[in-house]
Amino acid sequence: MRRILLSALLLFSALSPLFADDEAKPDKVLSIIRVNVTNQPWDFARPWGKRPPYSRRALGTVIAGNRVLVTAELVANANYVEFETPEGGQKVPAMVDVVDYEANLALLKTDDPDFLKPIKPLEITTATVGDNLSVLQLEATGNLLTTHATMTTAEVTRYPLNELPLLIYRLTTPLQFRDSSFTLPVVKDDKLVGLMMRYDNTTNNADLIPAPVIQHFLTDAAKPPYRGFPRSGIASDQTRDPQFRRYIGLTAATPGGVYVTEVFKDGPAEKAGIQSGDVLLRVDGQAVDQDGNYKDPDYGKISVTHLFSTKHFDGEKVKFTVFRKGETMNLDVPLAHRSVESYVVEPYVIDRPPKFYVLGGLVLEELSRQYLKEYGNDWMKKAPEEFIYYDQQQDNLFRDGPKKIVFLNRVLPSDLTVGYEDLTHLVVTKINGVPLQSLADIPAALAKATDGVHKIEFDSEPSVIYLDAAQVTAEERSFMQKYRLPTLQRLQ
Amino acid sequence: MIRRIWQIALAVSLLAVAAHAQPNEIRKSVARITNTAQEPNYRVPWLAGPLGGGSGTGWVVGHDRLLTNAHVVSNARFLTVEKENDPKKYIATVEHIAHDCDLALLKVDDPTFFKDTKPLPLGGIPELESTVAVFGYPIGGERLSVTQGVVSRIDFRVYTHSVVDSHLTIQIDAAINPGNSGGPVIQEGKVVGVAFQGFSGDVAQNVGYMIPTPVIQHFLDDIKDGHYDRYMDLSIGIQNTLNPAMRKALGLKDDDRGVMVSSVQSAGVCGGHLQVGDVLLAIDGHEIASDGMVELEGERVLMSEVAERKFLGDSVKFSVLRDKQPMEMSIKFDRAWPYTMQASAYDTQPPYVLFAGLLFQPLSRNLLGAYQFGNERIHYFYDFFISKELYKEHPQLLVLSAILPDPLNTYLNEFREGIVEEINGKKIGTIKDMAAAFSEKPDFYVIKFIGKGRPLVLERSAVEAARARIKARYNVSEEQNLESTETSPAS
Repeated sequence: MRRILLSALLLFSALSPLFADDEAKPDKVLSIIRVNVTNQPWDFARPWGKRPPYSRRALGTVIAGNRVLVTAELVANANYVEFETPEGGQKVPAMVDVVDYEANLALLKTDDPDFLKPIKPLEITTATVGDNLSVLQLEATGNLLTTHATMTTAEVTRYPLNELPLLIYRLTTPLQFRDSSFTLPVVKDDKLVGLMMRYDNTTNNADLIPAPVIQHFLTDAAKPPYRGFPRSGIASDQTRDPQFRRYIGLTAATPGGVYVTEVFKDGPAEKAGIQSGDVLLRVDGQAVDQDGNYKDPDYGKISVTHLFSTKHFDGEKVKFTVFRKGETMNLDVPLAHRSVESYVVEPYVIDRPPKFYVLGGLVLEELSRQYLKEYGNDWMKKAPEEFIYYDQQQDNLFRDGPKKIVFLNRVLPSDLTVGYEDLTHLVVTKINGVPLQSLADIPAALAKATDGVHKIEFDSEPSVIYLDAAQVTAEERSFMQKYRLPTLQRLQ
Repeated sequence: MIRRIWQIALAVSLLAVAAHAQPNEIRKSVARITNTAQEPNYRVPWLAGPLGGGSGTGWVVGHDRLLTNAHVVSNARFLTVEKENDPKKYIATVEHIAHDCDLALLKVDDPTFFKDTKPLPLGGIPELESTVAVFGYPIGGERLSVTQGVVSRIDFRVYTHSVVDSHLTIQIDAAINPGNSGGPVIQEGKVVGVAFQGFSGDVAQNVGYMIPTPVIQHFLDDIKDGHYDRYMDLSIGIQNTLNPAMRKALGLKDDDRGVMVSSVQSAGVCGGHLQVGDVLLAIDGHEIASDGMVELEGERVLMSEVAERKFLGDSVKFSVLRDKQPMEMSIKFDRAWPYTMQASAYDTQPPYVLFAGLLFQPLSRNLLGAYQFGNERIHYFYDFFISKELYKEHPQLLVLSAILPDPLNTYLNEFREGIVEEINGKKIGTIKDMAAAFSEKPDFYVIKFIGKGRPLVLERSAVEAARARIKARYNVSEEQNLESTETSPAS
């Protein structure tokens, strides 16, 4: 089986020289440095080890407080980070201070107090559609390469790593390829308006993490511990169909509104008493239209998600006005960030090693989207269909558990596993009769072997297999040596 | 121009010459079959599909019947048969067709067709390495062709005609080409197989497959009562018991015997009798080895071969070890496996319901082939329909496959490719449930789809007002077909 880790982020097609203005303005150069990162992700197919390391060069934006702002993707699973001056190439070790993979932002710092001192920090400001922006890049010489572009769009859309939609700015411009074209700052009047996180070299569209998201991140980071962007804990659907509006009792007197299709278990909306089938009419006093947008003073119609995710912080209460069976009511929703660990199938596992348990050659892991993504760019088509379904439908399927899906990834054959060699991608439901909520339940379950035999049950064929308990223990050491495993389990 | 029939991927057709015996008599009994076929139309199910067809080979069996492959005469509207040295085209009809083993029996009304023919006798399973001859009408010429090859191997293989059925198959290295399908494979004057599938030249060379005589004989025996009942199936999964810890836990001795039951389909004949964890030690007195093989007439074959030879109404005896206690069990084959939506379907009309311009169709291999849905839920429900027994709740999965746009349904596009869960609070298990729900007269029709939070809502008054308009605009002749009824066979 071929597994490819996908980590392509910004791919710039070279060529096609365009209107870039090469005037080096020294005051701008001073606000950018180079950031060199060596990343080494864990290998989810062989969870006891890491993949080969690789290095990337990027640009970092110096901001107030002697810190450097980059995209989180740049420092995902980073082993080593260093700063480098644009000219002269002086380097100093650096480290990640705060990182938010969902918002795709990271703050870096260095212990060397003098390194960033001569560099003038960039202020941050917002932009609106029609503004003229400049994308900054560095030539190999350290000269500044500036590409001008007009901001075309502000919208709430998916970020690369998570489902939480956040605001982006979009601009359309052909960009030249330069070394270290990762995490490009975009400025307006010498102030930072965003960091580029996606560029599509066929449409020339560039998506920026915009100033409002950056400011939210920085404000949150200023008060440790970092909490993350809050959510409301509902899924909703549009209410355009007049037949549907009449069915749920919406009259001309109550225009707009979105239909709540799901209220996530233990989420903020559930705590506030919102129910599926409610119609969300207003958030924070702002009218929600039938497509789920509100009228933002800066960006016009954008998704109401922006209101509670970026205009508010974890822990704040926001008034939701809902329509339920002919009544309109106000409910205070205590917004909260949803931790990645609270997902049954975790959408990302970064900077954390995958958990696993090798039981007599059976490699057991917890299902995560990170694991599925090892199938490459089209993992949605190539990964096991059942697992894709579990990932995509997890909020529906696992309201009553389990907490995590434990699965048999593969079998490392030995005399313990004769007859089981071909088993793969099976969900483990019980060991020795004990239902598994997560890998952490395995040690206790193994203590309950009957007649010296471990019984392992799956949710599909072969349904059940057995291992000799004494032999599993006796052969641990030789097994580790044979397959060169540094350890047989990681459960923390 | 006649298209010669063969199976895609596994290209069909084979034919070889008997080494000796009376080649002339064999030649007289081998006919070319020309089929004018009409495929079902899943995109516009109230209309017939495009005309097509092709040609294959058949041979005289019994005194006045022709045997051929099911895929040669599937979806037939008009069939003709011709013999060498006879200018006449005779009209044929399908008497029995077995899509699960790709065989069919044809009737020729004009008795003069059989004047010079001689029924070809059935032989046994040919020896490996022995020579066989394939007779047929493949591409490359108009007259009967004969090719020779040797028997390469005998194995269980998928029959591509239905895709889901596997039976005993013999591989030969004779040249096989489109048009050979249905032709007899002869050894010492007897039929030892029916050429039926192969690989196209860019996949493998000199690999052809024939249906061996046990499968042919099973078909002929099954139809003796005038009705084809299909193959019987145990509908269980088995796991080898090679592992010593597993043998110990199951209470097995160290004698390489027995397989563990790893799944039992509740809708199958073993449902309610066998349990997961049972050990099968013997089937009809044949010892089952720990890898699931039994010895039948000197050959080591899968234990399912024993069930393969059964007919509707027969029984099978198992020696079982349950919770380490031996027991005997007899299981009657009282029904064929009911859920066949994953098999390619032929000679059927697509079932559907058209309501408010919404086209609902039961999920099937044919439907997937026609629409190429990208929806991950559809693929999950299709692939796991049997293994996860999804049929228990939804014997049919009704998919909103298409929408005929109308002001009534213009906001409903997001429901496309959804699977219907319930209508007005009633679970929808079959297309008949759906038709019944739509024949009621509520103010609103509320359709809930699996995994979708928002229901699809239609006002009855609006539906009624749009009905004639949609029928006229889209030329809909029938708003529903609830049965996958057999079309009348070609006549």
